[in-house]
Amino acid sequence: MTYSSEKSLELLKLGSGFPGARFRDGQEEAIRHIVEGRGRLLVVQKTGWGKSFVYFIAARLLREGGNGPALLISPLLSLMRNQITAARRMGVRAATINSDNPDEWSDVEEKFGKNEIDILLISPERLANERFRTQVLARIAGQISLLVVDEAHCISDWGHDFRPHYRLLERIIRSLPPNLRLLATTATANNRVLADLATVLGPRLEVSRGDLNRSSLSLQTVSLPSQAERLAWLAEQLGTLQGHGIIYTLTVRDAEQVAGWLKSRGLVVEAYTGQTGPGREELEEALLHNRVKALVATTALGMGYDKPDLAFVIHYQSPGSVVAYYQQAGRAGRALDAAYGVLLSGEEETNITDWFITSAFPSRREVAAVLEALEKEPDGLSVPEIMARVNVSKGRIEKTMALLSLESPAPMAKQGHKWQLTAAKLSEGFWERAERLTALRRTEQEQMQAYVRLPFGEHMGFLVRALDGDPSSVTPPPLAPLPTSVDEALVREAVAYLCRDGLPFEPRKKWPDGGMPRYGVKGFIPQGQLAQPGRALSILGDAGWGGAVGRGRSLDLHFSDELVGACAKMIGEWNPQTFPTWVTCIPSLRHPDLVPDFARRLADLLGLPFHVVLTKTDHRPEQKSMANSTQQARNIDGSLAFCAQRLPRRGPLFLVDDLVDSRWTFTAAAWLLRSHGSGEVWPVALAQAGRD
Amino acid sequence: MAPSLSPNTQAILLLTAPLMVGHAPSSPDLLNLGEYNRLARHLRELGRQPADFLTSDAGELFRVCRPVMEEGRLRRLVGRGFLLSQVVERWESRAIWVMSRADTAYPRRLKGRLREDAPPLLYGCGDIRLLDSGGLAVVGPRHPDEALMEYTMAVGKLTARSGKTLVSGGAKGVDQAAMRGALEAGGNVIAVLGESLEKSAMNRDHRNAIMGGRLLLISPQDPCAGFTVGNAMQRNKLIYTLADAALVVSSDVNKGGTWAGAVEQLDKLRLVPVYVRSTGEPSKGLDVLREKGALPWPNPQSSDEFDALFSATMPITTPTATQGNLSLFSDELSSVL
Repeated sequence: MTYSSEKSLELLKLGSGFPGARFRDGQEEAIRHIVEGRGRLLVVQKTGWGKSFVYFIAARLLREGGNGPALLISPLLSLMRNQITAARRMGVRAATINSDNPDEWSDVEEKFGKNEIDILLISPERLANERFRTQVLARIAGQISLLVVDEAHCISDWGHDFRPHYRLLERIIRSLPPNLRLLATTATANNRVLADLATVLGPRLEVSRGDLNRSSLSLQTVSLPSQAERLAWLAEQLGTLQGHGIIYTLTVRDAEQVAGWLKSRGLVVEAYTGQTGPGREELEEALLHNRVKALVATTALGMGYDKPDLAFVIHYQSPGSVVAYYQQAGRAGRALDAAYGVLLSGEEETNITDWFITSAFPSRREVAAVLEALEKEPDGLSVPEIMARVNVSKGRIEKTMALLSLESPAPMAKQGHKWQLTAAKLSEGFWERAERLTALRRTEQEQMQAYVRLPFGEHMGFLVRALDGDPSSVTPPPLAPLPTSVDEALVREAVAYLCRDGLPFEPRKKWPDGGMPRYGVKGFIPQGQLAQPGRALSILGDAGWGGAVGRGRSLDLHFSDELVGACAKMIGEWNPQTFPTWVTCIPSLRHPDLVPDFARRLADLLGLPFHVVLTKTDHRPEQKSMANSTQQARNIDGSLAFCAQRLPRRGPLFLVDDLVDSRWTFTAAAWLLRSHGSGEVWPVALAQAGRD
Repeated sequence: MAPSLSPNTQAILLLTAPLMVGHAPSSPDLLNLGEYNRLARHLRELGRQPADFLTSDAGELFRVCRPVMEEGRLRRLVGRGFLLSQVVERWESRAIWVMSRADTAYPRRLKGRLREDAPPLLYGCGDIRLLDSGGLAVVGPRHPDEALMEYTMAVGKLTARSGKTLVSGGAKGVDQAAMRGALEAGGNVIAVLGESLEKSAMNRDHRNAIMGGRLLLISPQDPCAGFTVGNAMQRNKLIYTLADAALVVSSDVNKGGTWAGAVEQLDKLRLVPVYVRSTGEPSKGLDVLREKGALPWPNPQSSDEFDALFSATMPITTPTATQGNLSLFSDELSSVL
């Protein structure tokens, strides 16, 4: 269709809110290319260049020309709200269907059906969702006139941020006929990723590529091995840094811990993670309008978040690759003359990135176990049914299913709610790719470590070279480096803070699928036989008490008095009501005295009597060798018994164990105690097992 | 072995296929076989092909096709590209392939024998090399008695032992008994389905044979399409066409798919020798088919006797359609788009 320059510029003015707005280099050419249907286009421009104007204006012009709506696939939709607002100013009717807004789906679907939506934004995961594809998308797919693939570097195996669901997108693109308009956008793509994209997107791909340097950024790295040192550094620097920013952590727990500590130091910060829930929008707004000093965030606050006057991005740990780092740090200083990008490097980051690397793919054993279970069931299996048959964790099973079903052809497919084998074998290429990606991630990890070691002033050049950009455009940092020392007194306070927290855990309310046959129970656990919410002193092996618990369990076979004291202190602060009147513990055949000895000392310190009322009747494998909740439940089934003649006391009690993982042991023990007439059962554990 | 999706096949899918995902209604604009043939002839006269509708300068082509097809309708159909990518992805992930009359891999015997009646699209799961292997078609009712089932299984076994492919309709009853007999004896089978290819492709009973290259499922219908009488009739034609000889195990008179398919062969298409069962329980339907020219099944016991079945000539021949002359068409073959 014919492109109109005037209309296009008019829309830009409306969208940007500036009557004097002019297109940036390449923007208008990109819009014209799409509207005129001149073939597929890849736009590689740094964040803030205005990629969203390209697709919103193009979508609007296409609609005016009588074409169907556009479909945009982006990994992080909740962060596109600002863009949707800008779209509305241009009269582009944008809507999103994602996991955060299920109550709006039917409304959006209806509007789509009535041709009242110009651009629909969805995530690649939604696109892979069987229900969404068959019930929703199928009805509108025939009218879509433009497909926009945001963050297209995720398609590339060589990208720092390869996402399994983009494999599906890759296949969809490969089977798209050449007459469907396709725009792919990314902020970061080195030559290798670009070559990969060119093979997926087609030989006649047009590429629009801008430069990478960010002259306003002062990059710096600071090595501070312990978390306490980094907490102290943050508390001190955040007090003096100008402006507002983001602190990135690698895990949700770290984000919450860092935010908790900084708040306790009187700083106005909030944690922002994938688990923050519907409050995320409010937090984004709070940072946008400078109502918080900083958000302490995981990468959930990432691609697409646009605050032009962001004054600093600080990393609490190194991310896994320089490309990821460049993207995150590059959010700072887009519309400022100077901003900080500081990377703190700590001892635990290698373990965390190692974990991300090694857990990215299922093992051959896991895949074989799942395929074998499916092989035996011609009618297929649901995920809970697989959990009952194979000793693999739920998360790992789901990952296995997701990855294998994204293969082409896939060895399994979801028919309704059950997984079934298809008439295809898993190709060896799957494992080759897994190995290649793992090796690539290792290289990226090493490159990141090299970045950490750079002297001040060399960081931007390193990043631009790593991204195959033009290093001659790099200018010296505009700001002086921040101090690298930490206040010893603050470090001690941070240590105390890390040791202070108890972690709450909720009781299980329902027996596993298929029940506990030996106990003869199934379904929901009656109210009067449930455990109360419990507390764990630490996370196994973590900063704080986790290390001492680990040593006590595996080296000393004795828990120190320090741990008894810490536990008593936690219970004092917790103060559950009605407060227990006695203490018992979970029995073990493996280490018969370890936990009772600890529980007795804890009872003494609390001034409560200690009684043994439970016994272990059967030697079973350790719970931690059971990989999923159903297996863990079955492993407990029938192995605990009530051994006292009668209850020594009827009142509420503390039920003590060293480790809590699946919570089935506590659940079964509480059920036994309560069905023998005890009062409320309050679980207490020394540590929670590590991350799943 | 699966064919890759060619631009012509993409275009023909867009023009004629319902592209079913879930229960969404299919486009009211779809071209039926007659309309598609009209368009294909027009394209051939222009020296163009369906894939040309997908190029960036297709505007002119839409205009010159106006005499045979409304431009808006064509544009709406080929504008279904994203939907196409959705269904193709779904098929591929279930090891289902699709090819079109414009592909060189499209079975020559279908194109040569059926000409413009050949389905524009063929969906399948399994090794396409089986498609041109010929063999014996076995047809019959969905609810045969025990004796007939055993008889049919034995025919299937003999077919396999003689190194011939068994062609069947994949339905319950006789179709599946013949398939089972052939597969159990290690033979090759083509099942021509009139419905639900996707379900059959996911059926565990078929899995090993498909993966072993011994079972090929094909269908002219969308893999998600359910049963209709019209689909069943179109399937009958393909069963006979893909085979070199056919055996009717039992049939009603003047009703049912088995009857209709056999009569169509005897009265009209006459593509292959049609045999009827000659032992066991007599069948009125088979008697009437005999009167219409069907041959009595000679109950071959050896491979040699079995081979002889395929060289039989039908008592009456018509000049318009004969078997065994594929090469005569080869020039024109490529011209059927």
